[in-house]
Amino acid sequence: MTPLEIIQAYERYWLENGHRPPSVYAFARQIEIPESEFYAHYSSFSAIEKDFWKQIFDETIQQLQQDATYQGYTAREKLLAFYYLWIQKLREHRSYILLQKNRLFLPSPQGFQLETFRHAFLDYVEKLVKLGIENKEIKSRKFLSDQYKYGFWAQLLFVLKYWIYDESKQFELTDAAIEKAVNLSFDLVGSHTLDRIVDFGRFLLMKKA
Amino acid sequence: MNPVKEQQSIPTGKVERAARFAFTGAKLGVNYVKHYTRKLLDPDTPREALHEANAEDIYEVLSSLKGSALKVAQMLSLDRGLLPRAYAERFALSQYSAPPLSGPLVVNTFLKTLGKTPAQLFDRFNPHATHAASIGQVHEAWKNGRKLAVKIQYPGVAHSVKSDLRIVKPIAIRIVGLQEADMDQYFEEVETKLLEETNYRLELERSQELSRLCSQIPSLIFPTYYPEYSSDRIITMDWLEGLHLQDFLATQPTQDIRNQAGQALWNFYQFQIHHLRKVHADPHPGNFLFQPDGRVGIIDFGCVKEIPQDFYENYFALTRPELLRNEAHRRQIFRDLGILHPSDTEKEIQFFTELFQHLIDLTTLPFQQETFDFGDEGFFDRIYSYTDYVYSLPEVRHSKIVRGTRHSLYINRTYFGLYSILGDLKAQVKTSWRHIDELAAYLPR
Repeated sequence: MTPLEIIQAYERYWLENGHRPPSVYAFARQIEIPESEFYAHYSSFSAIEKDFWKQIFDETIQQLQQDATYQGYTAREKLLAFYYLWIQKLREHRSYILLQKNRLFLPSPQGFQLETFRHAFLDYVEKLVKLGIENKEIKSRKFLSDQYKYGFWAQLLFVLKYWIYDESKQFELTDAAIEKAVNLSFDLVGSHTLDRIVDFGRFLLMKKA
Repeated sequence: MNPVKEQQSIPTGKVERAARFAFTGAKLGVNYVKHYTRKLLDPDTPREALHEANAEDIYEVLSSLKGSALKVAQMLSLDRGLLPRAYAERFALSQYSAPPLSGPLVVNTFLKTLGKTPAQLFDRFNPHATHAASIGQVHEAWKNGRKLAVKIQYPGVAHSVKSDLRIVKPIAIRIVGLQEADMDQYFEEVETKLLEETNYRLELERSQELSRLCSQIPSLIFPTYYPEYSSDRIITMDWLEGLHLQDFLATQPTQDIRNQAGQALWNFYQFQIHHLRKVHADPHPGNFLFQPDGRVGIIDFGCVKEIPQDFYENYFALTRPELLRNEAHRRQIFRDLGILHPSDTEKEIQFFTELFQHLIDLTTLPFQQETFDFGDEGFFDRIYSYTDYVYSLPEVRHSKIVRGTRHSLYINRTYFGLYSILGDLKAQVKTSWRHIDELAAYLPR
């Protein structure tokens, strides 16, 4: 079995049972592979859960890279395109993700499911920010520019949460949310507004002489 | 046409929209206060100045909002005869342009609703919108040597319609100054129509149906629609060349050409109203594309009003002076149309009957003549000055009773729209009832 097939089997197990398998042994038996084959790919269920998110991210990026239109996009448009495709891919796994929603956003004793994905996304968005700075969509700011990516990660969590709770037809409100959130974030990193906010924050934190 | 500038931010959540409206509400309040203080100091301060100030503030807010708010603005702008002129002039600006969707969202809309990207569907697709409609935007595309117009809807529009209207309502009531309970039927009518407009499948169906039924009328051009490239949020049709009304007029077309265009529009509307009993009820200038030879291209059947039989009979009885000569009969018709209210006293009945009779005589004049010259500015001035006069009467200004029915809303709007376009065209048009009856010949067999 390939790692991908193990992820699929694990997802199926959740869909049918609504909880984690009792043990790797039981899970391996159910999907008819020796336990050793499981451990060859994954050290634990948490590792599968993390890889699930990373796989979807990798697929999304791969598909985007092959798209000629995507190559011609600005940083803002690239991020939009990423979100739309990513959400579209998540749709195929919506039932599984809804089962995970309470374990998703907070690190639990079983690990933080989004962690591997988070690292990959931060790398991706860091490149986008560089591109944005090159073509003047994003203002380069001392110290601050390096922190943008964390802001975008927060935005991604917002989009994910919005989609999880979205009940509109074809999730069209998520589309609207993505459009508005990305436009707002790029307006912030592109304009003077952010500088003013930082300046104001610094002022408030300043110790009164 | 200028490429649409991509607007940087759209007011988003309900809260933000509400905040904007609240802000307008406050500003309106301030305008009223200013007006009354000025009036205390100088009793001759014209009401026009107040209307002007209000219209400007409302317009500023509405035009920065998308969707239904913009539609309401467009709608108010067409009721020239019903609203003071200052409002009408400012609102007319809102009839063009709204901010666009990003390229990736356009692609996403295609993928979601048609399963393919525009690049896969068409030979060529222009990712930049050529112009904006109030709830969507239009892109150029090419397929098999044909140029197509692809209209794409903003996501979540239907959702925001209801919440928007709830927010617009208090302001609209304030502008018109009528009893809230009585206005409900109008708001319900507007809400239904707006929700229908967000339904692109329904629009496609109606566009195909009405274009087919009207195809025999001379000098009209309808695009072919392509259901295979259309979905809940996309409508694809042939690209029509042509100029919007103001640009067309700037080319100084001859009287003959203007007459031809005017006649085509008159026929188009009267044919639908009298022979189909349903009508393209959105006669704002953006929906017509004028050709140099006087033909007119017609797009956008988003707003279609179906006319109930009893309303039809009563409403058009108003254009037949012989039917109104019998006083008892006239009162019955006025009651059925809601012009007279059950609570009216005999004195009020006489007062309002006389007012409305005169307004009807003025506005239905074209129906009484074989040909009518819409270039006659006296005609419009008489209507405007009479409505201004009517609004200046204390009995009218202080009356909070709503007069009219929900059905008259869109039919009035259609006629005011038609008249104002014909007026701009200065067209001479065959308008008589005999001519309208003869239009039946264009019904498809």
